[in-house]
Amino acid sequence: MSTTTTASPNEAKLWGGGKSPFNLEYGKVMMWYFLMSDAFTFGAFLISYGTVRFSTNGWPDSNEVFRSFPFAPEGVHAPLVFVSIMTFILIVSSVTMVLAVHAGHNMDKKGVVRNMILTIIGGIAFLSCQAWEWNHLFHEGAWWGSNPFLNADGTASSTNFTNFFFTITGFHGFHVFSGVVINIIMLIMTLMDKFEQRGHYLMIEKAGLYWHFVDLVWVFVFTIFYLL
Amino acid sequence: MSGTFANFLIPLQIGARDMASPFMNMLSYWFFFIASIVMLSSLFVETGPFSGGWTAYPPLSALHDASPGSKTGMDLWIISMALFVVSSLLGGLNYITTILNMRTKGMSMTRLPLTIWALFFTAVLGVLSFPVLLSGLILLIFDRNFGTSFYLSDIYVNGVGALSNEGGSAILYQHLFWFLGHPEVYIILLPAMGMVSEIISVNSRKPIFGYMAMLGSLFAIAILAFLVWAHHMFVTGLNPFLGSVFVLLTLLIAIPSGIKVFNWLTTLWRGNIRFTPGMLFAIGFVSLFISGGLTGIWLGNAALDIYLHDSYFVVAHFHIVMGVASMFGMFAGVYHWFPKMYGRYLNNSLGYIHFWITLAGAYLIFWPMHYQGLAGMPRRYFDFSIWESFKQFAELNRFISTVAMIVFATQILFLINFFYSIFKGRKVTVLNPWESNTLEWTTPINPGHGNWPGEIPEVHRWPYDYGKDGHDFITQTTPVGEDESGTH
Amino acid sequence: MSHSHNADANHEASNAAAMAEIKKVTILLSVLTVIELILGFWMIGISSAALRLAIKGVIVILMMAKAFYIVAYFMHLKHEVKNMIMTIIVPLSLFIWFIAAFLWDGSSFRNLRNTYNPYFKEQAGIKVEKKEAEHGAATHGAAKHEAVKHEAGATEAKETPAEKH
Repeated sequence: MSTTTTASPNEAKLWGGGKSPFNLEYGKVMMWYFLMSDAFTFGAFLISYGTVRFSTNGWPDSNEVFRSFPFAPEGVHAPLVFVSIMTFILIVSSVTMVLAVHAGHNMDKKGVVRNMILTIIGGIAFLSCQAWEWNHLFHEGAWWGSNPFLNADGTASSTNFTNFFFTITGFHGFHVFSGVVINIIMLIMTLMDKFEQRGHYLMIEKAGLYWHFVDLVWVFVFTIFYLL
Repeated sequence: MSGTFANFLIPLQIGARDMASPFMNMLSYWFFFIASIVMLSSLFVETGPFSGGWTAYPPLSALHDASPGSKTGMDLWIISMALFVVSSLLGGLNYITTILNMRTKGMSMTRLPLTIWALFFTAVLGVLSFPVLLSGLILLIFDRNFGTSFYLSDIYVNGVGALSNEGGSAILYQHLFWFLGHPEVYIILLPAMGMVSEIISVNSRKPIFGYMAMLGSLFAIAILAFLVWAHHMFVTGLNPFLGSVFVLLTLLIAIPSGIKVFNWLTTLWRGNIRFTPGMLFAIGFVSLFISGGLTGIWLGNAALDIYLHDSYFVVAHFHIVMGVASMFGMFAGVYHWFPKMYGRYLNNSLGYIHFWITLAGAYLIFWPMHYQGLAGMPRRYFDFSIWESFKQFAELNRFISTVAMIVFATQILFLINFFYSIFKGRKVTVLNPWESNTLEWTTPINPGHGNWPGEIPEVHRWPYDYGKDGHDFITQTTPVGEDESGTH
Repeated sequence: MSHSHNADANHEASNAAAMAEIKKVTILLSVLTVIELILGFWMIGISSAALRLAIKGVIVILMMAKAFYIVAYFMHLKHEVKNMIMTIIVPLSLFIWFIAAFLWDGSSFRNLRNTYNPYFKEQAGIKVEKKEAEHGAATHGAAKHEAVKHEAGATEAKETPAEKH
């Protein structure tokens, strides 16, 4: 620090001003830190879930709870199958989002539009799956404050299992929903040539960051609720 | 405090036209405004505002029937706090990105004034800790209105479970709350630390001692702030062994705090000190920070804390270190930057009266409280006189109340000074009244929109070149000379 | 953004590399998910608590790997400036103690309750009897027994507190 850094050559290396130290535009930096903040919101939820689970004697077996499948014949149980489909939907939509961002780099409007549409479809498909699952669980008697399921060892379960399930997947679903809305806005802006005029597709990148974050959260929610 | 000073000082001191996103700033302001309205409106609902203490622990906050204040007032409290979280998040993101992205030419991160660094870490703390409170509050809303039991374990009335939903953990809320609550203490304190560093250096005409150490300790405090929350919870039924880990982490905070204190003192040491009111308040801050910080080491020990918790000792500790000290930091900032804010000086004589009465008052109020706390007087009692054991403190309490009223009256004097000086104060005639190095004093006396009329000045050195090579001060905009000794 | 200013040849090369990377990460994520699912299916039949715990550990590690690939490649963090990476990693590392302390205290709370709260302890020992459901509309086929247990749980869970006192 206090070593002799004399005048101009080092000056330029130090800080030229008028640009970002991270080579990122301010909106993107802001999006990153917003996502950090959001990560702490989700983190707090999931950690609360863990804390309550650790402080409770029994817990329902997720494979007994999440074992239904739409249009499956009555009585056929397929644990994990439905949720794995949901997971793949989200991963695929994340990939199409990357492709959209990539197309944006190349100023390829057609590519952006195509991949954005695919991403939006993926998001809506995910939301529909979640709606179906919520509806199904509701008809089994599960809701905030009511838990029809037993603990894995056959004892009565506290309602906190369903409480946390609906709260956290609901909060995630809300994020997916807002992500879809953002993506639709981005799509419309692309179609209106807004980004062509600006000369860059940075907005798509920011929407992309948000969408990947939603996918990232699902990785954790999926593992913690359905697998562990 | 972070809000006002950050929006005022960040663009001026880093050399930017404005904040990165004025729109976010405005959103932040209005969210805060709405939050205040919602909070105040709870005064007017039938069952009154929330009455469960500022921490809003469940079950008092989670059950509608716990007390009259647990009805609508509590819901409004939660909503207001949630809006406030959004507001501080928007503000914090704006500060961080502005400091990172908008600095002028030559203003590398290690040339930033310490004020900016402190505001930066404050914003980081806010962005990372408030969301946890948000999660906690959302769970609380569900507990109150949707029949969940995140925080409700079990309550028995005559051996019969009184709750329809149970099985949660009330300690969980306290963990979530204090995960915000402890960083929040530093959110209040860090800006004061930063401004005090700047003011002490300017007014003792010496470079700040150990700039990098100051940075490092700010960073260490910011990190430790997230690791020590459960020291607020030693008596809540926390795992005692976990508590002892928190004791260790808590006591670690003494290290960066000590570094900062000694750096301030060594900056003052043999300085050519100018006792402006701002400087006096800055020194007062250091004094209070030492007195309040030392009792923090007592309270950080679970063994002592179990005896002292919820006593006047705790009240005295945190009011000195976090309340009065950060008020002093704020006063220092106001006296120092008032000429920049309004182009006029505050009245010095009133400033001196304000300082001495407030400093003496702070100690006269809180020293006796330490004694009372050690003697066992608990806080949060409505009326002490009914208990035989607390009657002996009546005299002392009367004394404290009297001093408190005098100190309060002095603050009115400050307000009068403030508003009078805005319109009638002595006018600032020179660009740089404190002969300070930082960029804000290179703007016109009344900076217009965009801060600098022409080009934004370039920065060639760190902001603390005082008393160097025979110059009293060398502003940041001065290019490095040929035969100058080592520069930053 | 800077890509568009590069020379054409450079551009093509980086384009191809980026596409290859996307493909690679997509495949990796899918493989990791499939492994997780296989482990999940495997776990259904296992009753040994230790083995279950070990599998859960593996699943958590796989989860972290997935998270890493999403953040590093899809969110492009790997290709940012090092300082940018640090500003993300350092705050994230706060989660270590966040998680450890919370879960630690959670399990401590369970021990406390089991020790000092006889009601809490007692409840953990009472098995809900598997009685035939009165309205077994949803119960057919091979897994009838299973389904009945759940139906019963719905009614039983609500009745238990009342019965006890």
